[in-house]
Amino acid sequence: MSANLEELVEDSVLLQCRVNGKACEREIQPGTSLLDFLRDELRLTGTHMGCMTGHCGACTVMLDGQVAKSCITLAATVQRRQITTIEGLKGADGKLSPVQQAFWDEAGFQCAFCAPGMLLAATELLRDNPDPSEDDIRRAIAGNLCRCTGYQSIVRAVKAAARVQRSAG
Amino acid sequence: MSHEGEQDRYVGRSVRNLGQDAFVSGVAKYTSDFQFPDQLHMHVVRSPHAHARIRRVDLSGARKVAGVVLAMEGQEAAQLLDPVPHYIDPVGFGGKTVPIRCLAVDKVWHYGQPVAVVVAEDKRTARYAASRVQVDYEPLPAVLDAAEAVQPGAPVVVPGWADNSIMALPFANGDVAQAFERADRVVRTTVRIHRFSTQPIETRVYNAVPDPETHGLTFYGTSQNPHPLRHVLARALRIPENLIRIIAPAVGGAFGMKMHGHPEEALVCLLALRTQKPVKWVEDREECLLIGAREQVHEMELALTKDGEILGLRDRALANTGAPSACPGWGMAFLTGLTMPGPYKVQDIDVLMNIVVTNKPSWNASRGYGKEATALALELAIDQAAREMGLDPVEMRIRNFVPKDAFPYDSPTGLIYDSGDYAGAVRKAMEALGYAEWRQRREESRQALGFGASAKVAGGGVVGAAAPGAAGGAKLIGIGLAYELTPEGGAIPGTMVAGYDSSTVRVGPDGSVTLLTGVTTPGTGNPTGMAQIVADELGVEVETIRVVQGDTTTCPYGFGNYSGRSTIVGGGAAALAAREVREKILTVAAALLGVDKATVTMDRGVIRSSAAPEKTLSLPEAAYACYTRAYDIGLAITPPLEAQATFRPGLIRHSPDAKGRINPYPSYSNAAYATVCEVDLETGQVKLLKFAAAHDCGKVINPILVEGQACGAISFGIGGMLNEEIRFDANGKQLTGSFVDYVMPRALDVPAIAVAHHDSPNPVTYLGLKGAGEAGVGGSAAAVVNAVNDALLPLGVSINDLPVTAPRVWAAIQAAKDAARPAERPAAATREVA
Repeated sequence: MSANLEELVEDSVLLQCRVNGKACEREIQPGTSLLDFLRDELRLTGTHMGCMTGHCGACTVMLDGQVAKSCITLAATVQRRQITTIEGLKGADGKLSPVQQAFWDEAGFQCAFCAPGMLLAATELLRDNPDPSEDDIRRAIAGNLCRCTGYQSIVRAVKAAARVQRSAG
Repeated sequence: MSHEGEQDRYVGRSVRNLGQDAFVSGVAKYTSDFQFPDQLHMHVVRSPHAHARIRRVDLSGARKVAGVVLAMEGQEAAQLLDPVPHYIDPVGFGGKTVPIRCLAVDKVWHYGQPVAVVVAEDKRTARYAASRVQVDYEPLPAVLDAAEAVQPGAPVVVPGWADNSIMALPFANGDVAQAFERADRVVRTTVRIHRFSTQPIETRVYNAVPDPETHGLTFYGTSQNPHPLRHVLARALRIPENLIRIIAPAVGGAFGMKMHGHPEEALVCLLALRTQKPVKWVEDREECLLIGAREQVHEMELALTKDGEILGLRDRALANTGAPSACPGWGMAFLTGLTMPGPYKVQDIDVLMNIVVTNKPSWNASRGYGKEATALALELAIDQAAREMGLDPVEMRIRNFVPKDAFPYDSPTGLIYDSGDYAGAVRKAMEALGYAEWRQRREESRQALGFGASAKVAGGGVVGAAAPGAAGGAKLIGIGLAYELTPEGGAIPGTMVAGYDSSTVRVGPDGSVTLLTGVTTPGTGNPTGMAQIVADELGVEVETIRVVQGDTTTCPYGFGNYSGRSTIVGGGAAALAAREVREKILTVAAALLGVDKATVTMDRGVIRSSAAPEKTLSLPEAAYACYTRAYDIGLAITPPLEAQATFRPGLIRHSPDAKGRINPYPSYSNAAYATVCEVDLETGQVKLLKFAAAHDCGKVINPILVEGQACGAISFGIGGMLNEEIRFDANGKQLTGSFVDYVMPRALDVPAIAVAHHDSPNPVTYLGLKGAGEAGVGGSAAAVVNAVNDALLPLGVSINDLPVTAPRVWAAIQAAKDAARPAERPAAATREVA
């Protein structure tokens, strides 16, 4: 029995994808999670590890515009797809997006470890539903655990962002 | 003091403009985000047994794996590392102690205990190689239950101890026997609090980077208490403290779990020094779930008059603190006893807290720090009494509270409560809940199921019987109230749990302001609160202030965050330092303006004199002069523009009183929690419909942040009662290993929360602060349980064996149905469901 881990796994895989709009091409181990790829290979550390079982949502990213848990997504399965992380949420002008600004203004985080996932979940919601009810908001962020806020300020922030987006839109 | 009007002050406002968007743009740097050249990774081999002798540890398989740099077992680690000093040594309380080794030597005493470590070039290799470490165990009988652990003949967890009790502490006062003799009624309630955990979303992460120049190291870690951790690491590593720098970057939630004493802290440092390379360890969720807390059993007895006045209280309590640890978790049980009888004025009490070790994994400090257990035991017992005697639980509490004119109040355990208006807070909470309306809806839910207005439990008997309509998703509404008294800002003599802390205010030659403080933030917002204080005291714009925390090299010596202390002591110290710096600035500014200093003020960084209103100076102009004119107009001050101050709150008394008691707390925040639930009689599901709290944390520095703290604690209480539970199999293997099994509240599980402030300022702290971070877990938890039991009242059952998960509620409902069919069941069916 081999004692060498490298011999136990298949050859590396060439991954081609776009991350926050930028083309990206890397050789990766087939078992690498998208989370580890983003954090360790691309050094995009805004995407966080909380559980590695897909339950806490700290690792949430967008895959072709849909939120996904990067800790339970194999990097090798995102070939030629568009990935958006928290680092890609700011506007082209470098300003905070309305959702980011609302999370700041309404204290929609405390430790902020869950914030990247919450922000992406809220961004997806408000893109598809500009006038969500409180229940819609709670459902949209139900895949993301926050241990600090009790969710009150997060719900308030998403409502505020919706108001800003509607008045701007 | 600042000269501005109240409306111009930052304190009291929901300041958000601290000008940092790092936390919402993904650039905030947490410990795991640091990556160093040649970074190695540690993986820990853990015991699969709760109790076993280690016959042999074979590391050869791991060492053969390509990419492995080092593997180590307990015998070798014990040669290289001294035991980890206890955060709070039980010896200081007259209890039993034991040296704590980072890796098990000769035997393991809990499931998941570290037995060996492997260091490799990447984390996958480290994990794989760890799986090739072979340990030969001889399993030993394990003891998991505290009641069994104190029986004669129980397996002894710690070799050399006569029994499994760390200590049995009495908290007694007055004449309890006489109180029980006088009583019209004695109500006995057994409250069983289960093991649950804080589980911040960021697990623990440590990153040790050796410094070849000094032979020391820098430790980047998820630490609540960098300076005290440095002391502990220095002793374990046998090097002086001044060779260690601790940096606590952004922390992703802590709640006590990131207080130190964990074996992995010293291990990564040792391995970094041995390999002379950076070594990183990232705890996985299964490892994090090993850290539990809170498991206690209270046999409560209340001696009552027929009107519900509490004459006396007896409590026989057992705390199952798991295996010994250097972390401060076990001390929670001490606080549980010390905080009895909470907000209630009864003086005749007899509490015995037996703090026990078992073969479960160890506790660490958990938000509430034992005071949550006091609230649960008291508030469940009071509701049990109200139910049995047919009294109103709101009125019963108000009748028994320490009255608001009785402060400062001497508690029967020797505490000195600073201030409060408990009855006022209850009234506010019930109003915020909409009590009258919910009472009406509760009555309607009962009548709809055939439980008329007469459906009450009287004299311990069951009146209401399950009606024909009480099936098929029928729901009952319940209302629950609970109170929590939360001593905050604690100081334990002879330990690094200090009551004071220090801050430095520094104004640069350009007028920029830096606050460096010994208190740290786990993400609560305390830097914003402290910046508001400095802005007001100094007279500058809050946006110009930068707050530096969590670095042993740059910050003043401090004790970090715990016990709801940070803004009380860090903020109080910052205020004192800011005043000193302000005096220097005004002195030099007066000389520059050629006016009397008494006429000079600074507001938002602009300096004016009432003697010469046409002339103004900017802070940068005055600051530059302070630095550069030391021999003429700056002679009257001592440069640089910097001051360090310490805030040491009063009321803490460490010299024992006539009964040998101390008061370790300066501050007693308190709050009323009220909730409404709906119980599905078919499934046992509990849904919370509304939550309200009225909170007294003294002066509120920043309402949006304080309310955030309160709502977070309430979510802890809700989750802890409805879903969160750490379970073990009969052999002590932990069954709860991921968020599949450990179910924390999600956005849909937490109802709308109304937070009302009911402040009574603390006379002994800066601005009357009391602390806002620790409070709320036990009070909200007890409110949830009381609401569930109120919903179940027409069925004549109650649950004091926690948590109140759907299966337990369902079982209670079934027991009630069975009891209502006397032909099928013996008449002695228990009312209280275990």
